[in-house]
Amino acid sequence: MKDLKYLFEPKSIAVIGASRDENSVGYGILANLLRGGVFSTRHNEPFRGNVYPINPNAGEILGLQCYASISAVREKVDVAIIAVKSKIVPVVMKECVQKNVKAIIIISSGFAEFDDEGKKLQEDVLAIAKKSSIPVLGPNCLGVINTNSCLNASFAPAMPPKGEISFISQSGALADSIIDWALWKNYGFSKIISYGNAADIDLPDLIEYLNADKATKAIAIYVESIRDGRKFMAAAKQCTKPVVIMKAGKTELGLEAALSHTGNIATSYEIYKAAFRQSGVHVADNVDELFEAAQVMAYQPRLKENGIAIITNGGGCGVITADNCIENGLTLSPLSPETLKALDASGKMHPAYSRRNPLDIVGDALPGRYEVAINTLLKQKDIHGAIVVQTLQTMTQPLENAKIIVAAKEKFRDKPITAVFMGGKFTRMGKMYLEAHKVPVSAYPLKAVLAMKALLHKKE
Amino acid sequence: MDAKEILKQYGIPLPVMKTVKTKQDAVDAAKAIGYPVVLKIHSSTILHKTDVGGVKLGIENEYQLREAYEAMEKRLKNGIDGFLVQKMYEGHYVIAGMKRDRQFGPVVAFGLGGIFVEIMKDVSLRIAPLTGKDADEMIKEIKTYPVLAGARGGIKADLALLKDILMKVSRLSVEHPEIKELDLNPVVVNAKEAVAVDVRMIE
Repeated sequence: MKDLKYLFEPKSIAVIGASRDENSVGYGILANLLRGGVFSTRHNEPFRGNVYPINPNAGEILGLQCYASISAVREKVDVAIIAVKSKIVPVVMKECVQKNVKAIIIISSGFAEFDDEGKKLQEDVLAIAKKSSIPVLGPNCLGVINTNSCLNASFAPAMPPKGEISFISQSGALADSIIDWALWKNYGFSKIISYGNAADIDLPDLIEYLNADKATKAIAIYVESIRDGRKFMAAAKQCTKPVVIMKAGKTELGLEAALSHTGNIATSYEIYKAAFRQSGVHVADNVDELFEAAQVMAYQPRLKENGIAIITNGGGCGVITADNCIENGLTLSPLSPETLKALDASGKMHPAYSRRNPLDIVGDALPGRYEVAINTLLKQKDIHGAIVVQTLQTMTQPLENAKIIVAAKEKFRDKPITAVFMGGKFTRMGKMYLEAHKVPVSAYPLKAVLAMKALLHKKE
Repeated sequence: MDAKEILKQYGIPLPVMKTVKTKQDAVDAAKAIGYPVVLKIHSSTILHKTDVGGVKLGIENEYQLREAYEAMEKRLKNGIDGFLVQKMYEGHYVIAGMKRDRQFGPVVAFGLGGIFVEIMKDVSLRIAPLTGKDADEMIKEIKTYPVLAGARGGIKADLALLKDILMKVSRLSVEHPEIKELDLNPVVVNAKEAVAVDVRMIE
């Protein structure tokens, strides 16, 4: 296992190729270290260790004294970030080895993803890394963000909110956009890693690291191709935390794009899916699903067996949810005679309630009826989870219903509950309450169903 | 290496068959095997025997056998090394195969034969080595699984025999890295037996 501690928790950093040009990557990285981000947000935090800009042609950048080379720095340097032209990267790396740095991030592009000459350069880089056993991230990557150690060692626009999801991305640009999205949605991340061409540090190394990382609860991964499928499977199988992955290049056309984008050769999506399934990795079909699933898997219990209940005050919405369940391979458990007896005896049910799964408790349901329905159904042994679908009618009380769902979650800790609060404006308070208590909630049934599906795939 | 030899080593059931050089030998072989039989050309140069009319299924008697033999002999004079008389198996036609992938190594494939695999892409895949659970899931996850299970009064396939073949293909592909691709196509399966009727191996 590679020692990546310094990569994520350095005490000092040198930026080789730091620049005064505000539109350059070298400037962006330095600014991110010093301020946490270039785009200003309350989540940005300056790096607390020492930062050394390296540039032989500049005296001072962003108020810091520049050094002509990394060897000119007297103090210890843990991490060297390299953002110079690809041709001189090997020379710079050798200086970093001499300086005895503990990890290297190569931001520069123009390697195996570019041409044959670049491929040769990447081989040189790898040889230096192997010989020195210094872990090297990249080349052709965005860098690393660790919200837990105030580290934005990347040229991403800003730091995302703090959280417990870690994201590994083969694409730097996607990671950039996800940060902007996360700031908008207030979605929290622990670590974001863009690993680029993976000359040295590869996906399995990062999975191993995050599995051991206390701050990470679930791992989200975006890939276009995986170089060593067997090694990936071994790391994923060993990982005890939930892993959800999105693989681009599903179609033949997409495949071509992926080929020209990275230096690897992609294989057919179906083989990837089989490998993911065998190694206990949940597959997301799109970016939205990737982060939804990561969040859900981080905070919800596993759906132990495939058998759930739908509880709704809207017949039509119950049917939509049931359709979505069946289409996604989820099974609805039939209600037992005992459950029906208990519902009847409660005195809370409408005479016309559906008496089957999906359980339609009828439009005029007040919170008390939701409470009886949810608790009674979750008591049934072969109902392993529930989707509660609320439609907004004149007497509906979204916030009270949300509280009942949260209370049920506390009571039935080993059974996941996901919620659908159909609508927008007047269900908002209920949704916010659910979100604050980490209950997955959406405005349409499909998301709640996909969340349940992810929980069926969650590891034991 | 001969594909059939490898399958034999791993205990994958092959059809009862006999190679013959003359019409009379073919007739004798068919009598010994028992009708119905299949007549195939035996050739080192013709790869797709069906495409050139080199396979005749469901031969019920000696008359039909002689007729088929003569027709093939006439049409495919060159390129025939001999003939193969094979027992005709009734059942579902499934495919069990292996493809060696660059990233993941041997990948085992399973599907219902013919258009289902080729046109509907109704295939299940797993990376070898398979666990017993993997093999069970592979069989049950294809959309046409109900057909194998005997839907609408059809033949009920012995799933344990199919599983056994998948497990053997898995083991074989792990232990023989020189095999790049393997097609057991078709494997005929019914309630009592599962037989790899035809096999193609690419080294």
